[in-house]
Amino acid sequence: MKKHHVKALLLLFLAALICYLSARDFLTMHHAEAIYPSPQLTTKKRLSDYFPGLKNSPGDSPVYIFEGRTKGGNLLILGGTHPNEPAGFMTTVLLVENLEVIQGKIIIVPRANNSGFMHNDPQEGNPQRYSLETAGGSRWFRYGSRLTNPIHQWPDPVLYVNPAGQKLSGTESRNLNRSYPGRKNGYLTEKIAYGIMQLITVEKIDLAVDLHEAAPEYPVINAIVFHERSAELAAIASMTLQMEGVDIQLEASPPNLRGLSHREWGDFTETLAILLETANTSHGRLKGKPSATLITEGKDKNYQRAAQLGLLFVPFSEEGIPLKKRVSRHLATLNALVFGLSELFPDLPIRFQKIPSSTDVESAGIGAFLTPPK
Amino acid sequence: MIQTVYHIIVLYLTIHIIWFIIREKKFWDQLSGMIVLVMFLLRLFLIK
Repeated sequence: MKKHHVKALLLLFLAALICYLSARDFLTMHHAEAIYPSPQLTTKKRLSDYFPGLKNSPGDSPVYIFEGRTKGGNLLILGGTHPNEPAGFMTTVLLVENLEVIQGKIIIVPRANNSGFMHNDPQEGNPQRYSLETAGGSRWFRYGSRLTNPIHQWPDPVLYVNPAGQKLSGTESRNLNRSYPGRKNGYLTEKIAYGIMQLITVEKIDLAVDLHEAAPEYPVINAIVFHERSAELAAIASMTLQMEGVDIQLEASPPNLRGLSHREWGDFTETLAILLETANTSHGRLKGKPSATLITEGKDKNYQRAAQLGLLFVPFSEEGIPLKKRVSRHLATLNALVFGLSELFPDLPIRFQKIPSSTDVESAGIGAFLTPPK
Repeated sequence: MIQTVYHIIVLYLTIHIIWFIIREKKFWDQLSGMIVLVMFLLRLFLIK
């Protein structure tokens, strides 16, 4: 055997070793974090129970159902439509682990796009997870991608015509919030959207809320985006929040922007459709070094500077916009929406308890209300 | 179907890279080939 053959064999071994180590690390993204539902959970289903086409696919996802002792309104809360927007996901985890419904029904889907949690965006340097301290130790949660994992849905078309007929760039075929009302035999992301539409119809959802976050430089932020049938509800919620000192914008869902939850849920089902946005430093384009601390603390000098230059749509000080503040904002808005629903439709009351107040979450932190790791 | 075509193309190129590393005499060129090979192997096994 010649000298360069020996070197080649050593290099091939090294390539196999690097592959093994990086693959082992990357495949941990396929493991979901633990969620410990409150003892008052009525039943746990999966999206595939509403649309069997998702069974055994990476798009299938747990659905937590909490029913009260008496009938009332039905509320759906979606987190993780975009898995790189952690406040929406963490709000649903907080609810699942604490909720007790007295009247009506609350359905929670923390990982709306389960596949998006199984990878993260290339070339962004984002962490795969972040941790929160609970009373009994640290718990970790996934930080995923805005889009479905390309391993699960590939290749992207050059031009994507979504189920509502809007033309978009090809990568948007993996964006759940461009894929409504979904397609039974479409891409995986369209099947997930179809499954969620089925859930809304089968469970007779009165109010459906999609929890999101946006970059601080994005104009639709700290906002309630509403379908026209939900305008009055959004207005009541906005006034309630203003009275509590929470600054919130109202944004009407544009009728010609198709494929989004706040548009298609409202057009294709009877539900009142709402989407909420908070400000997430970790997925903004102006951020500095990505890290798990940036996700949880939301502090960034670039954003501070951008705020001083008047380039942002939210106030941004050296305290940043921590995750607990964003989750607390989502909780306050959900409370205001439920209050608004009962005001507008007295026959659709939803009453619940044991949810930490938004002020408690902001002062004590999210971890104080999460179950310690088991 | 399209995934099978994809696998065949990636496998074909992977074999070429391995063959290149074996017959190449310059170490730094072999090393460059090895770095490219890692990406192809990860693609071949649909890991990333």
